[in-house]
Amino acid sequence: MFNLKTTLTGATLAALAAGTALANPYAPYEGTTLVVNFPAHPHYDAAINVLDQFTEETGIEVEVDQLQYLRMRERQTLELTKDEGDYDLIAYVVFSKADYVFADQLENLAKYFMNPALADPNYDQADLIDGYVQNIGVAGGEKGYLPGKMGSAFGVPFGSETSVLAYRKDIFEKHGIEAPTTYDELLEIACQIPELEPGMGGMASRAASGHQASHAFLLHLAPLGGQVFDDKWEPIINNEAGVAAANALKTIVDCGPEGGTTFGPAEAAASFKQGQSAMFLDSIAFAAGFEDETESTVAGNVGYAMHPMGVERASQTGGFGLAIPKNAENKEAAFLLMQWLTSKKGDLAVAMEGGNPSRFSTYQNEELNAKYPYSATFGEALEFADPDWRPIIPTWGSINADIGTTMSQVLTEGLDIQEALDGVAERTRATMDEAGYYAWQE
Amino acid sequence: MLANANRLTPYLFLAPAILILAVALMYPVGYMIWASFLDWNPSQRIAEADFVGLRNYTNLFSDAAFLESLGVTLRFAAVVVTVEMVLGVGLALLLDRQLRGMTILRTVFILPMMIAPIVVGLMWRYMYHPTVGILNRTLKSMGLDPVPWLSDGGWAFTSVVIADVWQWTPFIFILSLAALQSLPKSAMEAARIDGATGWQLIFYIKLPLMMPVLIVTALLRLIDAFKVLEVILVMTNGGPGLSTEILALRISRTASEFRELGYAAAMSNLLLILLMVLTLAMFFYGKIMDARAARIRAEAEEAV
Repeated sequence: MFNLKTTLTGATLAALAAGTALANPYAPYEGTTLVVNFPAHPHYDAAINVLDQFTEETGIEVEVDQLQYLRMRERQTLELTKDEGDYDLIAYVVFSKADYVFADQLENLAKYFMNPALADPNYDQADLIDGYVQNIGVAGGEKGYLPGKMGSAFGVPFGSETSVLAYRKDIFEKHGIEAPTTYDELLEIACQIPELEPGMGGMASRAASGHQASHAFLLHLAPLGGQVFDDKWEPIINNEAGVAAANALKTIVDCGPEGGTTFGPAEAAASFKQGQSAMFLDSIAFAAGFEDETESTVAGNVGYAMHPMGVERASQTGGFGLAIPKNAENKEAAFLLMQWLTSKKGDLAVAMEGGNPSRFSTYQNEELNAKYPYSATFGEALEFADPDWRPIIPTWGSINADIGTTMSQVLTEGLDIQEALDGVAERTRATMDEAGYYAWQE
Repeated sequence: MLANANRLTPYLFLAPAILILAVALMYPVGYMIWASFLDWNPSQRIAEADFVGLRNYTNLFSDAAFLESLGVTLRFAAVVVTVEMVLGVGLALLLDRQLRGMTILRTVFILPMMIAPIVVGLMWRYMYHPTVGILNRTLKSMGLDPVPWLSDGGWAFTSVVIADVWQWTPFIFILSLAALQSLPKSAMEAARIDGATGWQLIFYIKLPLMMPVLIVTALLRLIDAFKVLEVILVMTNGGPGLSTEILALRISRTASEFRELGYAAAMSNLLLILLMVLTLAMFFYGKIMDARAARIRAEAEEAV
């Protein structure tokens, strides 16, 4: 009798426990400690601020290893090749996608989203910003790195960025200038400013040799209708659109602030913040800094407009995504963290701390718009974010560097633009040939 | 039998040292040489990489960017070592005397050497800043045109040379000073009694006697100049264009940015060979000079 009672109590308790387990999908992972690798970046600083909330709700502890973003890639390359990695969840730079997926080092997310014990039915994938998902998350479709019928997701965008034009409202009003909507207007205003406001540069741009100059060039290439490759991987960077983009960059730098040819993104942003330039066309991640009165002398005087239009609207896509390494120890718990951070609730919480939203709904959130008035413009800009503004293929590292050093020579040594781009195209073709991209051509 | 064992004893005692040397020195070098024959990207383990024979090396010689960077390195090394030798030895000759506060002065002189390269790079980068840097602000306040220190190819090269000369002249200075102070006083006195002027003393007595030390010093600096990385990385990151992209920087970018470890290893090997040739050349030059000196001495003795 006594025994039966105990058994019964036990069974009831077990049933109750099972009941709670069903109500709380996080219960099986309570007490797990996840090790995550995040970059030192404003968005991830914001994300780290909400991790306590995650631990409180789920009982899963999170340990963060934060690294400078280029160092992060080196470290991850090392970690991902080990039999057992130290990281359960990694944030990766968009151009690492090709390398990691190609080396089969990231978990395909399908099996997690199919698992009813893990996948939150209220996650709402459709709300995630298309351009970001395509650019950062999906691989295996068109050209290998883009979405397509055979593509699937290896990561979720988190800390993604697009480009917008920041300009000095006060200066523009003073001279009766409207914010530029096309490239012609942009270039005209860029060179008008130094005449109207002696000592002030038109637009601050990245231009330093290497990655920065390449980034700046590609930023203009897509809206002006150009691309690095055609559909058969033949370089077309040296066509009319390419020349127009290089000309645009040269005009911008020539009419820009003094010493602009050595600028990286931080120097360009600083030049704008200190009132030495009237415009800044780059990632939305810099906006929070412009509005911060402790570091910006132009806070409150900055207007935001969409990336001007060339022959089309195509702002850049970049930033980071979250992925689960193949050699992670706690993959399921890592998925829960990834899902939580990129859910509607998590995305908003991070955005309120100053992060960059990955969801359309977050950009429309009233609370967020009240705190950061530029959010609506950014949300609008995102609809034109171009996932294919730069190729994400394993050979990109050396091609990118070649474009960047050649552009730097155009900017500082007066190298002829057509000649420069012809050289890039020729070297790029050789690189692609060696990597086997023309194996299927006659 | 016993004689044989005796002859082997030294090798037996040497064995542990040779073993450690083989593991600690030869293994990494061997690894690098092996890697230079592979098409190896960092996402692969070395065993998974494809063997491509000499392809990495043949590609190097048709790679315009590599050749340019090799040229920049040779020019950089030649210019900085020459300038530093002239300034360092000159300073040593000037300051080789009993002055009050000489110890403090010497310490101050060698301060630049003690600063971490990254800091040196940052410091000069801010001094060279186009608008807020001290150099351009001074030029402007004197009514002169600002100089594009880091934003023009030619100037950027000059700027990194200036920073390197600033940091490493003291190295040559202290070594030359030590050499000067250890020269035999008798030779100097004899020359003075024979009526040698100050300049003659320097050119015919001091410099020739210092030569062995100077050669080693120059060699050390040359090796260092070929490998300099951090200062230039921070100041220009190789730009504008490729104007300051020295070989060490190119190697580092090839490995981390272009993800071609095999190609980077091939470049490193070429750099290693280049440095070995230089070292051997210096070594043989020293041998030849020694032999010549010995012959002259022998002839002189015979003549007596």
